[in-house]
Amino acid sequence: MTVRTAAGEALRLENVRKVHGTGDGKVDALAGVSVALPAGSFTAVMGPSGSGKSTLLQCAAGLDTPTGGRVFVDGAELAGRNEAALTRFRRSRIGFVFQQLNLLPTLDVLQNVTLPLKLAGRRVDTAHAVETLRRVGLGDRLHRMPAELSGGQRQRVAIARALVARPPVLFADEPTGALDTRSAREVLGLLRETVRAHGRTVVMVTHDPVAAAHADAVLFLADGRLVGRLAAPTAEAVAERMTHLGDDAEVQRARTGA
Amino acid sequence: MLGLALRSLRRRVSAFTASLLAAFLGATIIMAFGSLLDTSVSGGATGAAAETLTTMAAVVGGWGLVLVVFAVTSTLTLSARQRAGELALLRSVGATPGQIRRMLVGEAAGLAVAGALAAVLPAWLAGRGIVGLLHDADMVPRSIGHTFGAFAAGTGFGITLVAAVVAALLAARRTGRERPADPYADAADAARLPWPRIAAAVLLLGAAVNCAVLTMTVMRDEGTMAMPIAAQAAILGSLSLALLSPALLRGATRLLERPLGAFGVAGELAVVSLRRRTRRLAAVMAPIILFTGVGVGTVHLQRTENAALATATDLPEADARTLETLNYVVIGMIVLFMAIMLVNTLLAATAHRRREFGQQRLAGATPGQVLGTVALEAAVLAAVGVVCGAAVSLLGIVPFAVARIGSPVPEGGPAAVVVVAVLAAALTLGTAYGAARRALASPAVDAVTP
Repeated sequence: MTVRTAAGEALRLENVRKVHGTGDGKVDALAGVSVALPAGSFTAVMGPSGSGKSTLLQCAAGLDTPTGGRVFVDGAELAGRNEAALTRFRRSRIGFVFQQLNLLPTLDVLQNVTLPLKLAGRRVDTAHAVETLRRVGLGDRLHRMPAELSGGQRQRVAIARALVARPPVLFADEPTGALDTRSAREVLGLLRETVRAHGRTVVMVTHDPVAAAHADAVLFLADGRLVGRLAAPTAEAVAERMTHLGDDAEVQRARTGA
Repeated sequence: MLGLALRSLRRRVSAFTASLLAAFLGATIIMAFGSLLDTSVSGGATGAAAETLTTMAAVVGGWGLVLVVFAVTSTLTLSARQRAGELALLRSVGATPGQIRRMLVGEAAGLAVAGALAAVLPAWLAGRGIVGLLHDADMVPRSIGHTFGAFAAGTGFGITLVAAVVAALLAARRTGRERPADPYADAADAARLPWPRIAAAVLLLGAAVNCAVLTMTVMRDEGTMAMPIAAQAAILGSLSLALLSPALLRGATRLLERPLGAFGVAGELAVVSLRRRTRRLAAVMAPIILFTGVGVGTVHLQRTENAALATATDLPEADARTLETLNYVVIGMIVLFMAIMLVNTLLAATAHRRREFGQQRLAGATPGQVLGTVALEAAVLAAVGVVCGAAVSLLGIVPFAVARIGSPVPEGGPAAVVVVAVLAAALTLGTAYGAARRALASPAVDAVTP
C-alpha cells in the first residue's frame, strides 16, 4: 500500500479535486491541485473566502475525502477504506490544529493533550506531554479546564495536543484567527520553532498577511486552484499579491481553458 | 412571540418529539382514568361500584398526574437546554427574557394541546377496556356503560397544559440565568442539587417510609386493601431516588472508577463524562429508577397477594384473576410510559453529543472507541438505575409480605428483578448505541461546526 515518493517530501498532492453537491448546485471546491512540500518547511496557504483553503487542508490531512487525485503524507498514500483506517493513519503522521480548536470541554489541559496518545493505544509519556505544554507556556496550567483559559491559551493547548504525538506533518487552520496580536505572534513563533528545532513540516491556512510572513513560502489559492507561490514572503508582498489574486485567477482560467 | 413559537415548533418537529410524546401518553393515562369518573356520574353508580370507579380514577389518575408532570418537565427542560445556543442567539439580537419566556411557554402550550388532542381517541378506547375489565370482575354492574365526558377531557387537557406551562417557565428561568454561548462553558455541569429538590426528595422518602409502616401496622389485617398503600411506598420511594439521581450517580461513579479503568481509554472517557456531565446523564437514569422501582415492586406485590389468596378464600378465584389483570394493565401502562420516557431522554441526550463525539474523533478516536465509551456509560446508568430502583421497591414489597404472608421474604423469587434488569439494560444500551451510531454518521469535521 505504501507508495514511496521523492525522498525528503513531507506532503504531496496530485491533481486533488473536491466537488461539493451534485447537478446544478455542483461547486468545485478544489479544481485539481498539485503541490509537493519538502520536509522541514513552513508553508502558508492563503486565498479569499471560499477559495478552498480549508478544504485543501482537510483533504491533505485525511479529514475529508477528495473526489479525485491522490495525497501522500510522509511518503505514504493517504487512502483509507473507512474512518477507522483513516484515523489510524492520521494518528501516526498528522497533527491538526483546528480553527474551532476542538478541545474536549470535559478534560483538563493535560488530559486533552495526552488524549490522542491514549486513543492510539500508545504509552503515555507524561513527562513529554508536560514538557510540550511547558514549551507552549502552559507549564503552570496543567490541570485547568478549557473554560478557565483565555483564547490564546486554548490555542496553545490545541498546538501542544497536535505536537505531542510527534507527527512529521502539522496542519493548522487559521491558528491565529481569533487571537490578539501578541498571542498571535507567540503562536506563530511556536509553529516556526516546531519547524526549526524539531524538523517538522507545518502547513498553515491563514488570511492574515502578517501571519503568512512567518512562513518560508506562501501558496495562493483562488477558486479552488493554486494561482501562485511566494518564497521568503514579507507582509507587504503578501498583501500586494492578495489584492491582485482575482486577476491571477482570471489569467490562469484563460490559460487552462476552464 | 407566539408566531415565532409556532414557527419554531414547525421547524423542529424532531426536537420536540420527546415532549410531544410525553404529553400525549400522559394525557392518555389521565383521560382514560378520568373517564371512569364520568362513567360513575353518568351511569348513576352507587355503593361499591361508585367507590371502585372513584378510587381507581383518583389513585391511578393521581399517579398518572405525578408521572406526567415529571415526564413533561424533564423533556421540556432537556429540549430548552439543548437549544441554549439558539436562545442565546435570540437574546443577542435583542430578545428580552420576557419574550424568550413567552416563546417557550407558547411552544409548550402548543405541544400540550396537540398531545392532548391526539390522546382523546386512545384514552376513550383504554377507558372502555378498563370498564370492560371491571364488568368482568363484577365490580361494576354491566348496566353502567363507559362514558367519556367533561371530567376526562377537562383533566386531560387541563393537567397536561398546566404541567407544560409550568415546566416551560422553570426552563426559561434556568436558561435566563445561564451565560451566553461559550463552547467550553457547558462543561461546568455542576451536579450540586438545589435545596428545593433535596427537600422534595426527603419529603417523598418520608412519605414512602410512612406508607411502608402503615402497611405493616394499620393495614395489616385489611388484606388486599394494603396493596395500594404498599404500592405507594414503592412509587414514592422511586420518585424520591429519581430526584436524587445526580447525587446517586456521582457516588456510584466514585465506586466504579477503578473497575471502569480496566476498559482502557473508553473506560477513562466514560468516567470523565459520568463525572463532568453528571446532571445530564442522571436525567437518563431517573426513568430507569422509576421503571425498575415500579415494575419490580408491583410484580412482587401481586405475587405475594396471589400467595396469600391461595391460602385464603375471601375472594372468588375468577374475580381475583381479573383484579390481577387490572393491576398488571395499570402498571403496564406506567412502566411502558417510563420505558418510552427513557428512550426519549436518551435519544435526545445522545443526539446532542454529536459535537462532543466529533471532537473525540478529531482527537484520534475511531468510531469504535466512541461507541465503546457510550456503551460503557449506558451500562453504568442501567446498572446503577436498576440497583437503586430494585432496592427502593423493597420499601413496598417487604412490608406487604410481612402484612399478608407473615414473612419478610416476598413471593416470586428473583425472576422479576432479572427480567426488569435485562429490559432496562437492553433499552438503555440499544438506544444509546443506535443514537450514537447515527450521531457518528456525518463526517467528524461537519459534526463539530456549530
